[in-house]
Amino acid sequence: MIRFFASKLLRAFATILFVVTFAFLVLRVSGDPALLIMGAEAPPDAIAAFRAAWGLDEPLWRQYLSYFAAIANGDLGYSMRDRRPALGLVLDRLPDTLRLMLPALAVKILIGVPAGIYAALHRDTWIDRTTMAFSVLGYSVPNFVLGLMLVLLFAVNLRWLPSGGAETWLHTILPIVVLGTAGAGILARFTRSTMLEILGQPYIRTATAKGVPWFRVVSWHALPNAAIPTVTVIGFMIGSLIAGAVVTESVFSWPGIGRQLVVAVANRDVAVVQVILLFVAGSMVVSNLAVDFLYGWLDPRVRTTRGKEG
Amino acid sequence: MPRIERRSLLVAALGAPAILASGRSSAQADDRPVITIAVQQIVNANALDTLREQSNVGERVFASLFETLIGRNHQGRGEMVPQLATEWRRVDDRSVELTLRRGVLFHNGDELTAEDVVFSFGPERMFGSAEAGQASGTLFTQTAGARGGGLPPEVPAVARRMWPALERVEAVDRYTVRFVNRRPDVTLEGRIQRYGSEIVSKRAFLAAENWLAFVQKPVGTGPYRVREFKPDQSLVLEAFDGYWGGRPPIREVRFLVVPEISSRVNGLLAGQYDFACDLPPDQIPGIERNPRFEVVGGLIGNHRLIVFDKNHPQLADARIRRALTHAMDRQAIVDSLWAGRTKLPNGLQWDYYADMFHADWSVPAYDPTRARDLVRAAGYKGEPIPFRVLNNYYTNQVATAQTLTAMWNAVGLNVQIQMRENWQQIFDRSSPRAVRDWSNSAPFADPVSSIVNQHGPSGQQQQVGEWTNEEFNRLSGELETSTDRPHRKAVFRRMLEIAEREDPAYTVIHQNATFTGKRKDIRWRPAPSFVIDLRASNFAVVKG
Repeated sequence: MIRFFASKLLRAFATILFVVTFAFLVLRVSGDPALLIMGAEAPPDAIAAFRAAWGLDEPLWRQYLSYFAAIANGDLGYSMRDRRPALGLVLDRLPDTLRLMLPALAVKILIGVPAGIYAALHRDTWIDRTTMAFSVLGYSVPNFVLGLMLVLLFAVNLRWLPSGGAETWLHTILPIVVLGTAGAGILARFTRSTMLEILGQPYIRTATAKGVPWFRVVSWHALPNAAIPTVTVIGFMIGSLIAGAVVTESVFSWPGIGRQLVVAVANRDVAVVQVILLFVAGSMVVSNLAVDFLYGWLDPRVRTTRGKEG
Repeated sequence: MPRIERRSLLVAALGAPAILASGRSSAQADDRPVITIAVQQIVNANALDTLREQSNVGERVFASLFETLIGRNHQGRGEMVPQLATEWRRVDDRSVELTLRRGVLFHNGDELTAEDVVFSFGPERMFGSAEAGQASGTLFTQTAGARGGGLPPEVPAVARRMWPALERVEAVDRYTVRFVNRRPDVTLEGRIQRYGSEIVSKRAFLAAENWLAFVQKPVGTGPYRVREFKPDQSLVLEAFDGYWGGRPPIREVRFLVVPEISSRVNGLLAGQYDFACDLPPDQIPGIERNPRFEVVGGLIGNHRLIVFDKNHPQLADARIRRALTHAMDRQAIVDSLWAGRTKLPNGLQWDYYADMFHADWSVPAYDPTRARDLVRAAGYKGEPIPFRVLNNYYTNQVATAQTLTAMWNAVGLNVQIQMRENWQQIFDRSSPRAVRDWSNSAPFADPVSSIVNQHGPSGQQQQVGEWTNEEFNRLSGELETSTDRPHRKAVFRRMLEIAEREDPAYTVIHQNATFTGKRKDIRWRPAPSFVIDLRASNFAVVKG
């Protein structure tokens, strides 16, 4: 068991190292922060001074080594644009990001999973087809299209809700609906297909034949077995909580980490991008580990195999 | 220890209670509106400092916070007007003396004096120490952060470019200052008026923890002061009732970053924003269909250019560059892509150049026949000419590039668009460069501020190695140092001939324009620049 998690952690560390190195190289090779931050209208000597001050005129390998030396000392660097600690800048945005993403995750789960189960239990009826039609519509309509349509309807025409910003709870409604719709659509389809697969298993037929009440068959025998693929998808969704709403944040002018990432990449603000990537990679790793734990809890076979491995 | 004088005590005694009283009364019953302005970006460099922010967008908010000694008439042609100085006079070819306006208060309640002006043009605020420019070798990790205490090195670099020969600024008395240049310069007044020469409070600057802290909440003399600045999100300004120019008409101004055009338009139509800035011309009809809103704006002091790299094998022959300039139907671009809301300027100059303006000069005529003849005479065989384009960094940039390319192709020039992601890729020399986009402004009313600053020996075009011309460079020096005005005008004319006709460095496409959607019941006139003027003389909500 310990070896299992140690190998998982080692792999996670290697993943983060790869992500950070890759991002560093791509960012530094594909654009000059001095020119991007100072602008093409800035005097050439000001751009040169900026470059020298931030060490951007050093060889790339030296920049890379010094960046990693700093990380090893617990220093995640400074924004070249703001001149403030990159970690602080990202942490400033975290509450607003979670204020949007956590309720959206709840909407995805609370609508997607029951809808999938309900559709599976009414297979090939109009209920199933209608649910699946909405599900397909939900995840196939791009976020920005749905977002703009909702803004036109509820903000511009009806004037019930604000069109963008993050001042009050009313501002959260439309972006949560947009994010929740797509996720709920995906979850509904996953849950339906795994439920259908489980409901066709011999042990379900056996339980039904034994006279176990249908509700108990579904909740006791079918649901836990159908949960594994759904939990995997939810795990991915949790992993993308940090920077998974780039488009929606742009449409609704939401000051989240997704938008911060876009601006930082556009300006090649290396330290800020790296901190965000560390957060994203970290949350992915943690959610995957959590999903692994859940597998063991949901499926005794996984537990047993791990026990043997450990 | 600052010297306290009778007059400053008097001003403080009268001014401070006025501010406090107005603050109290505004808290009790302030019926002035709160205005929300949606913008694409507040400042690109995330610092409320005119010396750090080198983009057009910053100009929009800085006009509410800071002022220069000599102002610019935003509602006129942009000519010089008294601002923090009530009058100025030439002492000699190298010196200008200015009389400060009395009773001007900074946002912290201090009175503006000559000491603040001297400080604003001194080493701590503007030019840095001699060593500052030499500092290098730090990296963007732990060592760079430790540099927060001093001026960032790019600030003195920008300042030195604005004031290449400023010897000193001295306080003659409490309300008189003198600018002394090392060499004769007829543009001193223009430089005093230009963006970047704003006056800040010495006491507030020195009291701030460091430069970074000051530029998050700067202390100037403008009609509004910073309440809260969240970079990339919002800037909230509040009325500064001690403003020398009268009580500001708005209680609170909120600039919100709304990056998407459609979101700015929707927010305006939904009543969430009072102004929506940076609108492309194709959005105008949609907004104006709603009777409660209108789009205002138009020409600004900025020209869109096409820039040439004469080192490219085909463009080395000036005839090919001349052919490019004659193949452009600029009026068609203005009519189709800008709905006729901009115009063709008289080359790289502006009419606020006043006596330096050449009214009879024009951009090269649209003449496809002549362009074809030039192409033939140059022996051009259809070799590709790359045109590096950014994805709408400028309004209508891609559509303009596609239109121009079609026009160039029509006269036999095989121009090919190459989309690029950023400016580094535009300037990259690893593959042949030929044609690119740019825009130029004139920060003060003299050609030195544009044709010399942008295309002269120290300008960007020559610094990145795209173009040079010996005679042009010699004339740049003459234009900067000569005090003989008729001669300077003739020199400028010759420079236009070289850079726009004989050995083209660039060619002007059209004058730039900016459009702002707003509530119709707000009486507000846009300035011929990016500036948003929210003073009492230019803002009122029409009742009923």
